[in-house]
Amino acid sequence: MAAESPSSVRKVVVHLRATGDAPILKQAKFKILGSDKFAKVIDFLRRQLHRDTLFVYVNSAFSPNPDELVIDLYNNFGFDGKLVVNYACSMAWG
Amino acid sequence: MEAQKYVWDGAIPLQIHLHESQILAPRIGYLPLLASLLKPYFSSTLPPGVDTIWFDYNGLPLKWYIPTGVLFDLLCAEPERPWNLTVHFRGYPGTVLIPCEGEDSVKWSYINSLKEAAYIMNGNCKNVMNMSQSDQLELWHSVMNGNLETYQRVSSKLKLATVEDEHTSLCSSKSQQGFGETDLAGQVKTGRVPVRLYVWSVSEDFDDLEDMPKVDSWEKISYINRPVEIHKEDKCFTLHDALKILVPEFFSNDLMNVKSAGVDFEDALRIPSEDVSSDKVVEDHVQNAYEHREACSISSSAEIKLIRIQGIEPKLEIPFSWVVNNLMNPDYFLHICVCVKVPQQNST
Repeated sequence: MAAESPSSVRKVVVHLRATGDAPILKQAKFKILGSDKFAKVIDFLRRQLHRDTLFVYVNSAFSPNPDELVIDLYNNFGFDGKLVVNYACSMAWG
Repeated sequence: MEAQKYVWDGAIPLQIHLHESQILAPRIGYLPLLASLLKPYFSSTLPPGVDTIWFDYNGLPLKWYIPTGVLFDLLCAEPERPWNLTVHFRGYPGTVLIPCEGEDSVKWSYINSLKEAAYIMNGNCKNVMNMSQSDQLELWHSVMNGNLETYQRVSSKLKLATVEDEHTSLCSSKSQQGFGETDLAGQVKTGRVPVRLYVWSVSEDFDDLEDMPKVDSWEKISYINRPVEIHKEDKCFTLHDALKILVPEFFSNDLMNVKSAGVDFEDALRIPSEDVSSDKVVEDHVQNAYEHREACSISSSAEIKLIRIQGIEPKLEIPFSWVVNNLMNPDYFLHICVCVKVPQQNST
């Protein structure tokens, strides 16, 4: 088992924002374990929206690698106590 | 009659290795980009269908978005030359590897890493987003083809913050491009260096690299993304300093290090150690440390066994700025492989 740091048991608030013609979720804010990978957010969106093809970004800027940890993304790119994740059905920011 | 059906339906999965051919895979490249080199050898033998190339090393499917050199440094404790990989064209392990649709997927992953690096350094990735299509393509091709000249020419247009070398900052007292200052384009340079850290934790002890256990699962490797902030006042910021920021949990034993003068027993007992389960253990360890007068790390905390960057095991006293400027990947990230020995977890 990889050594765990105290930050890995923390939960991160993720704010999911629709972009373009993507459907808006009824509930857009969620808490997720910091030790989870970004893939979990992507999978969650796919299931909620019933779409396989989704483009998922952080801060409307870039698409993180699905293996990146949510806690790292929050620490590096979060603000106002949350991580903003944008999703689109077609490529929004090439 | 049914038995015969079973016999005819039976099949054995085969894996065919590439024997004599060796190909050179650029350190800064990515494995799926080798597909065009490899396919000619196999195309005639593949059954019809869609090819999605993937590789494994000792049974471990290789994550394609990790640069080839990093995979080698991480997984091949004792560098193996040539590196024996198995190539697959079918049966993509979707549960272990994220999907890859050839060159486009790799390019997408690269450009996004570059944007992420830009965001870390500048607080936004406008410069990458505003690249012309032809520049973006040229940049990508330079990475694919390992063309450093082209890469430097195109990437310099991005005006991504680079770390000032210790030498230049000490020599020219009038250097304006400091960290935290705004440049002409109005972008704040934060002095933050993007780092991707791959930490491999082992619990067994070993003396030689060849005795190191093989990585058989990605669960054993932590993929950490933490930037390192370099402060302008810090004239002598070393790789060691950077690592203490990146993985402070592996440097707690520095506090317990016994210098040749011996340790103050009271002080050592007061320092908390997260892995110590009882006071008795602390006492024992401190006693041992006190007896060994040379510097040593108390075995109750994690111990760094190996640090590798671009195939080098750098001395920790090297200025971090040199490491960044010379060893970073084309995505402006510094990829560092660390092997750590953690204490055996006691089962409760």
